[in-house]
Amino acid sequence: MMPFVRRYKGLNTVLDALYKDVVKELQNEKELNIGKELKGDINGVPFMSVTANRVSIPKLITGTLREVTVTITGESSDYLVEMHTGEWFSNLAMPYMGAAILVGPLAGLAAAGTTGLMAANYGRKLKNRIKELVKQHSKEKYSDEKVETFV
Amino acid sequence: MPFVRRYKDLNTDLDGLYGDIKKELQQDKDLTVVSENVGMINDVPFKTITAVRATLPRAITGTLREVNVTIAGQPDDWLLEMHTGAWFGNMILPGAGGFLVAGPFGAAATVGGTVIFAAEYGRKLKNRVKELVKKNSGKAYSESKIETFVT
Repeated sequence: MMPFVRRYKGLNTVLDALYKDVVKELQNEKELNIGKELKGDINGVPFMSVTANRVSIPKLITGTLREVTVTITGESSDYLVEMHTGEWFSNLAMPYMGAAILVGPLAGLAAAGTTGLMAANYGRKLKNRIKELVKQHSKEKYSDEKVETFV
Repeated sequence: MPFVRRYKDLNTDLDGLYGDIKKELQQDKDLTVVSENVGMINDVPFKTITAVRATLPRAITGTLREVNVTIAGQPDDWLLEMHTGAWFGNMILPGAGGFLVAGPFGAAATVGGTVIFAAEYGRKLKNRVKELVKKNSGKAYSESKIETFVT
């Protein structure tokens, strides 16, 4: 999944609280473990970033969630949120790349069911949750024209 | 973007290769290894390591955020995946208009040559991995034994 970046303007958002709730969200996922947090200023711009990694070996690999990073940078009324969800062997999951190339000893690695924690599903879920959290921590009314998305 | 290679008929010591890649990541002072998963999936050996940036970067856009290397398979038929993540990577793409990020985010844009960029690090690691594959393989390395998948 490509990184997803949103710029939010004019919302007067409490970024520390937003960040803490995003961290909680990642901690609530039993398959993830917070690996690293970076907080500080870069040239006077507040910056917060959290990375969570999968804690166990998945039952299947292709397309399974491997890590998540959420970064928030900027000021209350002009900031960016970036969300990255990494997955194993994602390019082999694409039909045109021919997932079936993986045969013989590697057959077990191909996507074989829907029981895994899939990166695409998790990314969608987290994106929606972040939208709710932005609304929750913003003092100004949320509207689509205050949001710009870069994919 | 993730980079996947399939190697066949090299009789590679995958444990030795994994150990050497881990050392390579550990030697970079800007990275910290935060996660390792080693085991089997459906009887296929699987090893994965994630290192993330240890410190706040001086610039954000395009800077190396995390590296993941995964090795799966048997000595004569295996896959290697390498992912290097960059902060706000889509904002440096010309089509996405990197310089839309102005105002308080001016400082967050790429400003100098002293930072570790994901693309540059990825190229360096890819070349190093090629050397390590040769070093840890019991048979002669040739391009005909390799298939590369990129998206």
